[in-house]
Amino acid sequence: MGKGVSGGGNMNCGEFQESLAYIIDTGGNAKQKEHLKECSVCSDLVSDLRYIADQAKLLVPMLEPSSRVWDGIKTSLEQEGVVKNRTARGRLLGILPASRWGPGTRGSGIWMLPIAALVLVAVGLLAYRSTLSSRQTASAELSSSNSALNFTNVDSDAMSDNQDQQLLAAIAARAPEMRQSYEQDLRNVNAYISDERKSVDTDPDDEDARQALNEAYREKAMLYEIAVQHSQP
Amino acid sequence: MSNIQRGASWLPIAVLTLASLMASAETKKQFHYTLGPHPNVNVFNQFGPVTVKPSDGTQVDVTATLHSDKVEVDATQRGNRLELRTHFLQKADSDQGKVDYEIRVPADTAISIRSATGTISVADLHADLLIEGDAAKIDVKRISDAHVHARSLNGPVNLEDIHNGHVEITSVSGPVTLNKVDGSLVTASTTSGKIVYRGDFSGGGDYAFTNHSGDIEVTLPAEASVDISAVSVSGAVDNDFPFQPTPHSPFPITQGKSLVGTSNSGSSSVRLRSFSGKIRVKKQ
Repeated sequence: MGKGVSGGGNMNCGEFQESLAYIIDTGGNAKQKEHLKECSVCSDLVSDLRYIADQAKLLVPMLEPSSRVWDGIKTSLEQEGVVKNRTARGRLLGILPASRWGPGTRGSGIWMLPIAALVLVAVGLLAYRSTLSSRQTASAELSSSNSALNFTNVDSDAMSDNQDQQLLAAIAARAPEMRQSYEQDLRNVNAYISDERKSVDTDPDDEDARQALNEAYREKAMLYEIAVQHSQP
Repeated sequence: MSNIQRGASWLPIAVLTLASLMASAETKKQFHYTLGPHPNVNVFNQFGPVTVKPSDGTQVDVTATLHSDKVEVDATQRGNRLELRTHFLQKADSDQGKVDYEIRVPADTAISIRSATGTISVADLHADLLIEGDAAKIDVKRISDAHVHARSLNGPVNLEDIHNGHVEITSVSGPVTLNKVDGSLVTASTTSGKIVYRGDFSGGGDYAFTNHSGDIEVTLPAEASVDISAVSVSGAVDNDFPFQPTPHSPFPITQGKSLVGTSNSGSSSVRLRSFSGKIRVKKQ
């Protein structure tokens, strides 16, 4: 077709492309549909844009949010009792030194692992909570949101595996005799998370399964916290 | 005298000399502090046991046995808080870095203890406890009106005679044993550790025991007042306690895999869940 200057019906490519967003959202009006049928340039363009839009939906979970977003997630989880705010639990938990996991802690970035664990907890929980909510939405939205969720789970697992390897490397460097037991514990707790996640997926209304999944994530976060203490000089 | 007889006669002397040398490597340090009411004591130890018992007065008495000169104890009092921290002066293995702590505190002292391998033992207090260990055995006895939080990777956690507590136990692979433990909230969660509870679930509390692959064993007397649910997703549930059936089960009951029921007025909630472990409920 004629390099964007001509097209089918009474519409040329320039006019057609001015309304691309509307066309992609709605399929367009009769004139636009006629142009689309007859113009291979515009037809290819719309097809490409639709593909990009679909892929973009899947890529949403990969965007790295700012630290404020993670803080917001953490606060929400604390408010919902999913994770515990140490300072909010009375004087018992307030007695731990605040700088224990802080940036001032010695070690090259290993202090970030508990935070990473918390992020994993958040990602994991959000993933299955989103699963719950998505099942309650209209069927038209279900397939796209499930695609995104599956992606989130896969992404979360990959992150988790990467973090686990970093943690084990840090343990091996500081306390090699403990590496094996940590590896076994990590394997067990990952299996726990995986099994309970399947339980929740099978029955989103199973409150006990959701509690158990919470516990599994907490145990993993605890494992990270304790391991980091061995990894510090 | 034969060579063997001569060697044998020197042996006790050699043993005594060695023992004397080992003893000389140990150093006992004592610290005494006076704190106000409801003080906090925090202990951070890498290797070695930590024992906490009540004192008669308001003083905190600390005896630290250092097993080599590669470690020291940093003791810092800030207001009403005392921090005891094992400090490595140079690289040391688990024997050289070992410090044994014996601490006597006023009974209303809130305690936090972190030790990787030694036994952590706390008894006869009525204040909050937070105990963390990797492979450390955790023993807590005769605590009342307090939060008791224990976190362990693979060391066993044993609680006995804990009353009116807010008890939270988390462990990855260590077994958890609770004897006569009651309160408004009692939870134990492990990945692969076995959970054993023996007691009457009193206090109208919320009791929840959860694990992935370990067994859960509960023994309760006939007078226990509980509203119980138990599920093992891919394991088994075995019950010989005469519960009354519950009219509305929160989940579908599968014989041998799940259980719901009440005993007496059902004042305490008891939830047991294992993914693949066996759950046993027994009458005392």
